[in-house]
Amino acid sequence: MIRLSPARRATLQRIAFPLLVSLSAMMIILGKADQVVFESLRSSVIDAAAPALDMLSRPLATLDSLVQRVRGVIIVYEDNARLVQENERLLGWQQAARKLASENAQLHELLKLAPEPAISYVTARVIANSGGAYVRSLMVNAGRENGVVRGEAAVNGDGLAGRVSEVGSRAARILLITDLNSRVPVIVEGSRQRAVLAGDNSERPSLRYVEAGGAIKIGDRIVTSGQGGVFPPGLPVGVITAFDGELARVEPYVELSRVEYLRLVDYGLADALPDPVPIAPRGGRRAEAPSGGQPARH
Amino acid sequence: MARRAVAGSAPDRVDNAVASLLPLATTVLAMLLSIQPIPIPGYAALTPAFTLMAAYHWTIYRPDLLPPLALFIIGSVQDLIAGGLLGTTALLLLLARGLVLRHRDHFINRPFPFVWSGFTMLTGAAMLFLWSLHSLLTAGLLDFRSTVFRAVLTISLFPAASFLLGRAQRGLMGGG
Repeated sequence: MIRLSPARRATLQRIAFPLLVSLSAMMIILGKADQVVFESLRSSVIDAAAPALDMLSRPLATLDSLVQRVRGVIIVYEDNARLVQENERLLGWQQAARKLASENAQLHELLKLAPEPAISYVTARVIANSGGAYVRSLMVNAGRENGVVRGEAAVNGDGLAGRVSEVGSRAARILLITDLNSRVPVIVEGSRQRAVLAGDNSERPSLRYVEAGGAIKIGDRIVTSGQGGVFPPGLPVGVITAFDGELARVEPYVELSRVEYLRLVDYGLADALPDPVPIAPRGGRRAEAPSGGQPARH
Repeated sequence: MARRAVAGSAPDRVDNAVASLLPLATTVLAMLLSIQPIPIPGYAALTPAFTLMAAYHWTIYRPDLLPPLALFIIGSVQDLIAGGLLGTTALLLLLARGLVLRHRDHFINRPFPFVWSGFTMLTGAAMLFLWSLHSLLTAGLLDFRSTVFRAVLTISLFPAASFLLGRAQRGLMGGG
């Protein structure tokens, strides 16, 4: 700040205020009319803020993991008993899954089905959220330098959380499936009806444009349909937990408010695949891009 | 953000420079706090408007040290980081400043309940403004409940914020 005489400063402030107010209003209108107009500004601000946000979010994350650890120690006995039971049950499932996997492989062979493209992913930590009622997004500490590409699916062990909507060189923004602007093509697992999962900024997105035929009910699982080419088919999304009149509400499998790490997955679904190479294993026809050029991917 | 270097060898000058940066620094801190990922279910939607608290406090006590340009920049950066529509937070903070400055005499050097009730009115107006703006821009009525909860949370956390800001202010600047 430069020292100015009080009178001059007052004049400056009188001009500055209406000027900045109209500038803000203009930015709102401009940003609404053309979403991409501020994109480079956004990604550079994200990049500049990423190190600070990364550092700031660490103490909170550490505190949270400490609380989890103490809780874990307290309930270790019950947890153990539960896990032993669960393990037995899962061993049963493992047998079933192995059998199904080999059967599935044989059937693929018989049908000469094109294999799914190989996937590669980057795991990133959540460093900021959107803090407000009108946007549902997260920022993660991986960006273009780590091989993150716009449009990739953001998942964790439980299912789909969102997709990469903006990429900076060191950070990226994830648009959550609960955001007002999020639309995910899905199918109801039991009845195979297609629908669109539409976010509305509430905790539970709704199921719209449900294909006719068969009734959907509470407890039905919702998975991605793969239509539109952004997400691969079959990613678990959530489960129908309530009806708002005719509208089914879906509880996402991912606990979006608690998510600490996300995997940004490249399912090789991008339209422009440079340098296609055939995949050897099952002699399919589809090719995919090599991911070897991206050292950060595993 | 520090646009003025902390220069000068005399300790009181350094103190002065640090003290005059306090409004800016605390408002930036409030902005960073409001985008922290805190693992409480549903928290993101109800995040209190920390930046509004800081803007209100400093507009009452030291509006000279938190000029419109600072609010504009802080608001815009918050929108850019949080992924909101660019301009909304800047506009909100600037309008809040304009409104508070006009009625500043009612709040300055008055008991805390006056200050708090002023903030309550400001937050009510601010949340209503945000809701109307976003409803208008999405061409549909948005869920009003989270807006109400957010306003309530913001208003109820204000005494704590005001206490901390007041302590920092007295500690560094002396007096009110």
